[in-house]
Amino acid sequence: MGRLLLIWRLVAGDIKRRPVQAALLVLVIVTTTTTLTLGLALRKVTDSPFARTRAATRGPDVVAELTPPNGSQTRADADFASLRHAPGVTETSGPYPVASVRLTARGIDLPAQAEGRDTASAAIDQPALASGSWIRPGGAVIENGFATALGLHPGDEIRLNGHPFRVTGIAVSTAQCFYPVSRPGVIWLNRTDAERLASQRQPLGYVLNLRLADPNGAEALTSGPIGTAFFNEPDSQSLQTWLDIQHDDFRVIAVDQKALLIASSLLALIALASIAVVVGGRMAEQTRRVGLLKAVGATPRLVAVVLLAENLLLAIAAAAVGIAAGKLLAPLLTNPGAGLLGSPPAPPLPATAAAEVVAVAVAVAAAATIAPAVRGARASTISALNDPAHPPRRRGWVIALSARLPVPLLFALRLLARRPRRAALTAAGLTLAVAMIVASLALQYRIDVHNQAIGYDLSGGGVADRVSHLVYLLSAVLTVLAGVNAIFATWMTVIDARRPTALSRALGATPGQISTGLTTAQLIPALLAAFLGIPVGLALYQLAGGHLQEASPPVLWLAAVIPGTLIAVAALTAVPARIGATRSPAEVLRSD
Amino acid sequence: MAEPVEIPATEPLHGYQLRVVQEVLLALLAGEASHGYQLRARLALALGPLAGALNDGQVYVTLNRLEKSGLLASTRVGQADRPDRKVYELTPSGRARVATWLNDTSWPKPAPAEFHLKLVAAAAAGLADPVGIVDRQRRELLTGLAQAQRAALAEPNGSVAALLLEGVVLRLQADLRWLEACARYWNQAKER
Amino acid sequence: MEDRAPNPILSATGLRKEYGKGAALVRAVDDVGLAVRPGESVAIVGPSGCGKSTLLYLLGGLERPTAGAIELAGQPIHDIAESALARLRRRALGFVFQAFHLVDELTALENVELPALLAGASPRAARARARELLQQVDLEDRAEHLPSALSGGQCQRVAIARALANAPLLVLADEPTGNLDSAATTEVLRLFDQLRATGQTLITVTHDSRVAATADRLITMRDGAFVDETRLTGGTSRSLSQITGLGS
Repeated sequence: MGRLLLIWRLVAGDIKRRPVQAALLVLVIVTTTTTLTLGLALRKVTDSPFARTRAATRGPDVVAELTPPNGSQTRADADFASLRHAPGVTETSGPYPVASVRLTARGIDLPAQAEGRDTASAAIDQPALASGSWIRPGGAVIENGFATALGLHPGDEIRLNGHPFRVTGIAVSTAQCFYPVSRPGVIWLNRTDAERLASQRQPLGYVLNLRLADPNGAEALTSGPIGTAFFNEPDSQSLQTWLDIQHDDFRVIAVDQKALLIASSLLALIALASIAVVVGGRMAEQTRRVGLLKAVGATPRLVAVVLLAENLLLAIAAAAVGIAAGKLLAPLLTNPGAGLLGSPPAPPLPATAAAEVVAVAVAVAAAATIAPAVRGARASTISALNDPAHPPRRRGWVIALSARLPVPLLFALRLLARRPRRAALTAAGLTLAVAMIVASLALQYRIDVHNQAIGYDLSGGGVADRVSHLVYLLSAVLTVLAGVNAIFATWMTVIDARRPTALSRALGATPGQISTGLTTAQLIPALLAAFLGIPVGLALYQLAGGHLQEASPPVLWLAAVIPGTLIAVAALTAVPARIGATRSPAEVLRSD
Repeated sequence: MAEPVEIPATEPLHGYQLRVVQEVLLALLAGEASHGYQLRARLALALGPLAGALNDGQVYVTLNRLEKSGLLASTRVGQADRPDRKVYELTPSGRARVATWLNDTSWPKPAPAEFHLKLVAAAAAGLADPVGIVDRQRRELLTGLAQAQRAALAEPNGSVAALLLEGVVLRLQADLRWLEACARYWNQAKER
Repeated sequence: MEDRAPNPILSATGLRKEYGKGAALVRAVDDVGLAVRPGESVAIVGPSGCGKSTLLYLLGGLERPTAGAIELAGQPIHDIAESALARLRRRALGFVFQAFHLVDELTALENVELPALLAGASPRAARARARELLQQVDLEDRAEHLPSALSGGQCQRVAIARALANAPLLVLADEPTGNLDSAATTEVLRLFDQLRATGQTLITVTHDSRVAATADRLITMRDGAFVDETRLTGGTSRSLSQITGLGS
């Protein structure tokens, strides 16, 4: 028990001595684990929603539609007969009357299709309610995409051909693609209500849903003799297989799903790389701590335990916060395209995902500890105490070159040269950050292009907006992560440069020169990162599933990344740099 | 704060004694027989700046004493138009005495008992403030240290006399450290 | 003896430096006044914790006093902006520290030229001056050595050369021989003597009486305040031998 207490005291004391470092580390791990959690959550949503919706609504394999003269039902029955009795057809539902109407709601006037249904559940294509309840006389159930576009909710009042109806529910179906891919939008009404809406000029049509013994035979049916014969009939309107409908869905959803896939992969990749960079930076200090512990009599085993405990404590605390944050944010991202059932409304993060995140955090913490602990156990205590991990490097040419430059640059170059490993880590971290931004730019551009290609009315809201929101949110998360990394890197540099800073102040460098120098020491890796980050970001995008041949972001956007990065890094590093430059030199230099 | 203090006009107290012991002269003669004035010259060389104070007469008196004790033997050497000089050389017993002296490891007494007792007495009898005594002595020794140090630094590189001066300096430094400790002690004693 | 005395290079009045608050208040420097004339060499001695290092850092503008005024070459420095203070330090002050504080990855030459570079001198001029200074401290054959290849005494001599880089009005030394053994101390003392001979104004904080003995003025400090001041001047070798007790 005493040993546990000792370990606790050593760990707590260490954290208390360097609270800022510990806080920054926790912050980075939190943002990283949040990102990782989001990535995992998104992954879960990429199973096909169409298939799920089709199963839930008992979707049809083939949908046939025709408009007989005068809306005659007997004529429709006759025309549908060949299809109904085609080989392979096991079940049918309908024919349901369909009226072309004008829908008026909230000042909008649109054409719509009103399909007449029974209150009883249909054998094939029973639309699944997203909210509200099924039809009743005087009530209308609106297709999800259509409702979203019009901003309609259960309880709202609409007029169909001037007749008032009340929205009783919102539902999804796979008998047709969702609005606005499939236009006009679909409304389900009571059968008699729908029949009454027919007029002389717009007679009733009829729709029949078919189920086949083998759904894969749908193509064969519609392109075979029976299907062809149906097409050639004068009254026939359309004959679609479920694959056609799915394909339509996918033209839009594919973007959504693809976006989610890319996003989740990006997040996971970047989160891992980010942790590696941060932890790599931290490893350098661990060696000194090992030396100190050994000097006060700790056995190598105790030393390893203390280091591990400290890292684990921070990592687990951060991971817990990150998972919680990820859970909160995930619903914002996991709502797929309107018109389909996604994951259940409140997506609980499966326990496995949470466990994965914690496992990653713990693994990383352990990795960060093992190397210095092993090294410390082997190395002599004196060398561990005297050399902080590695003594500063000497690069003669950098020193000679920097002498010719103004003081801030002199300071910056020499700072970078004395700890090339840290400079490399900072550049790596920033490169990742830039790559993040570039990848999300590519994603954003791809979505824009796709939307244009499909001919979306973007002002209508719905799917396109949601995907854009997703990408913005993704970029925001990644930008925050990037920002935190940049601040962390600067802070580490400031702390490491305490002695040279104090000495330079004593020798006459002004705080302005020094803070400029500290900032420049970050800007130089940032410049490198900006140039490297662009190809790395595009590569990451490809790796995560995007296709640059389809849509590569314009050169102007990419070029803007470079000055953007520099400005962002300068802004982020200004505050720590200023703090580092104005601290009293006496504290560091005095001998008492 | 006290007024700046000038160098005292009176003779300073002796901190340490360096007796030019008779054995030194015996040892200097172990190599070769010498005249008295040669011996003086070699002493002067070894003592450097401190040689000026050496009493010439003391050397000759000591040589005489040693001869009487049978440790030295002298012969007269005649010189043209000058009085005869004595040349001294070691006798066997003299040589034996040198050998014993070289192996002797006795050292001057390190304990500054006299000063310590001075402070104790002053405090006990209420005659004077011990801290004041210590401060005065400190100033004295500091002045001496400064002089000795300057002399040491002025010596050329490799000078053997510089070594003697360094010894003076370091001993004074040690004494000053002790005086600081005395000041601390007697200050606290006052507060009690 | 203060007639026709030139204006002091450094004058401080009522200096006070406090740390902490309330019950934990510590007065490191308590109402100290000091005037140093050009060419003077002042040593401040006292036990550890008496505040002498704090005083030195206050005089050098490396710390701000809680109260009091400091004037360097007639210009007040206790309340000017940090950047102005830095510029003044460049021209007027040189520092020597107990821990040397040489930059580990720079050679002796590069260390010495640093203040000149910071003051904006051309690399060539700075390099030339550095070489000259290393020659003065008798280390020109070690110019390309890193501090790790130099002994303690040599390191401190390089630091002294660095302190002189911009021909400062005043050199401040904080326990310059604190980390040195006796032989290295002698090297540094020799240098200080040379500096005094060239008329360099010098303020040294030390607890080594050998260093203190090289000064013209010796100030004793205790608990943040000056308690004593002695003037040390040269003497003849006769009084020297009286002190050592030669002769009967």
